[in-house]
Amino acid sequence: MMDLRPAEWVRHAVLHPAEGFEDMRWKKAGSLKIAFFIVFMLFFGQIADDKLYGTQFFIPYDRVFNIVPYIVMSFVVFAAWVTGNWAVCTLLDGEGTMRNICIYSAYALIPYTVQLLLNALLSHFLIRDEAVFIEVIRIVGIGWTAILLFSAVKAVHQYTFAKTVLAVLLTIGAMLIMLFLLVLFMSLMQQVFGFLFTIWTEISYRIRV
Amino acid sequence: MNKSIRRLIAPALACLLLNGAAGISASAEPYEVYNYDRWGDAVPSQAGYIPERSVSGSDLGTTAFSEPADIFLAPDGLFYIADSGNNRIVVCDKDLTETVHIIDTLTMPDGTGTSLSSPQGVFVTEDSIYIADSENSRVLVCGMDGSVILELTKPETAAYDQNKTFMPKRVIADKAGNVYVVLGNITTGAAMFAPDGSFTGFYGANRVQPTAEIISDHFSGLFISDEKRARRTRNIPSGITSFDIDGDFIFTCSSSSTQTTDTVKKLNAAGKNIIADKEVTFGDYTPIYDSTQNRILSSAIIDIDIAEDGCINCLDQTSGRIFQYDEECGLLFIMGGIAKQLGGFTQPAAIESYGEELFVLDRTKNTVTVFRETEFGRTVHKASSLHNAGLYEEALVPWNEVLRLDGNYCAAYVGVASALLRQEDYRGAMKYAKKADAGRIYNKAFEGWRRQWLRENGGKLILGITALVAAAVFAARLIRKRRRKGESTDDGPQTG
Repeated sequence: MMDLRPAEWVRHAVLHPAEGFEDMRWKKAGSLKIAFFIVFMLFFGQIADDKLYGTQFFIPYDRVFNIVPYIVMSFVVFAAWVTGNWAVCTLLDGEGTMRNICIYSAYALIPYTVQLLLNALLSHFLIRDEAVFIEVIRIVGIGWTAILLFSAVKAVHQYTFAKTVLAVLLTIGAMLIMLFLLVLFMSLMQQVFGFLFTIWTEISYRIRV
Repeated sequence: MNKSIRRLIAPALACLLLNGAAGISASAEPYEVYNYDRWGDAVPSQAGYIPERSVSGSDLGTTAFSEPADIFLAPDGLFYIADSGNNRIVVCDKDLTETVHIIDTLTMPDGTGTSLSSPQGVFVTEDSIYIADSENSRVLVCGMDGSVILELTKPETAAYDQNKTFMPKRVIADKAGNVYVVLGNITTGAAMFAPDGSFTGFYGANRVQPTAEIISDHFSGLFISDEKRARRTRNIPSGITSFDIDGDFIFTCSSSSTQTTDTVKKLNAAGKNIIADKEVTFGDYTPIYDSTQNRILSSAIIDIDIAEDGCINCLDQTSGRIFQYDEECGLLFIMGGIAKQLGGFTQPAAIESYGEELFVLDRTKNTVTVFRETEFGRTVHKASSLHNAGLYEEALVPWNEVLRLDGNYCAAYVGVASALLRQEDYRGAMKYAKKADAGRIYNKAFEGWRRQWLRENGGKLILGITALVAAAVFAARLIRKRRRKGESTDDGPQTG
């Protein structure tokens, strides 16, 4: 019973929002490789969503291309989610390991990623009057991912419904704190760099004179 | 023999031509000609107008101007220049070569003479002259012979705040004879007078710019007492600085450099701004930092003029630039600048247009600068007026000519795309619409192209999809069969 290959587990988890992740946990299935692949596709999905839409819908400002926002919107946010969830749920008697949280969360992101890529593709075939298709696909994708993510947290930590809600809210709080600290750290680094650079400039002037 | 001569002459000629071209570009306008591209970035552009000459008072055969404030081209083809520092109106011919006469004293209805004091605005119709006699706090309506018909002074009604002085800056009159007066210290719009001289109210007030502070004031205002509310600082919109009339519409401008709401308005008879929903940014898109003056230049439109062909000319006081828009508020040309040379201004005050010429009055240079339309400008005007009239296909040739002269000219791509769309050349329309960032035109062109493609290849598409589905079903069945076979051999020993 339930002897599935890794790729089939992905399908099973995505298509069975209620008990898919429970089955995965029971069978100790899930592949870290596939998880990373999904996050990587999310990264491309975010770029496609912003830059590769059909001209009839949106023409991006393509004079400059800054990759950092897309990295943040995929890798950084995902990493913050996984770390935050792990940190919170360790305190809340969660049973999930970091590896499992990472795998289950990544699997849950599939509908969202597919939606991003599918819409970017569809926007080249549809006209503005038919934008409602894109909108429906987006809503379905986001909703599905939300349900899956909830189910993933519930399964990986073996929580009740109420406790999962609490865990998700706390995780979002933890993510915000982490991002805040990150920004703080970056601005600190900037100032330290500026300070060192000034010292270097002063010294180099003295040496020359 | 012939060939060798040609071989010798050709490079020499080319050198001459190139030198000539370089010479022209170097000796031309003292500012950089630019326009905005599809992203709203400033890019170099061809000049639509070039400064031709500047005319001072002595060039017109009279004494020098002193702080001239307004210039107006009358229907009879004469220029009226409000020379406010000299307390006179100078009337000169259309070519700005000689003074026809000077208005400095007028005859009142009772036969006494009266003189002007710092006239700031002048407006002329077929049979009367309207003068905003600023320091005398009155507006004079007089006949062509200089006899005053009507004197408009501060209205003695409750609608006009009696604590405020009457300081007319600009004056216009509509076809029915209603007089509109811009007052320097009133922000509730232009004062409107009936033909008999009675005050009928204010016209075309600007809106208050909805800044964050004003929005928060509004919400906190819901909870405070009436006494407190009455004592708060009031939110006052910027007043009208100048206006011009074009048929039934009055165009106003406001020279506030801090507000961006209602800088230019097109008002109908009811005083409603009918270009409000276009959300056009008049003047420069972003304030420009000028390192030579160490200040940020945000546009302050000080005067507005509507040409006969419907083009809107806006004069920006801060940057000394003239922004010309077509009747649909699409930016056509930018020219002028702060400079001492010909084509630059120190304190531009008023703008007027006639045919292919623009006339800009400078308050401190005391001159009128004449700009003349270039070949490029003529082509753009022709194309844009055809385009705005809906004659897209007729506009195709001039738009292509515009693109040949200036590949950066964004409106030309829209024009070509519209024309090609109407000609059902969908591929071409898509190409040009994409270059102009015209999503709506691209959308229509794409719809047409998709319909065309489906009509031609619909059968093939359906055939292809059917074949693909059939292949997929067959493959799936094959895989399942193979797997079942594999499973039965794998599971065989276990189950057995």
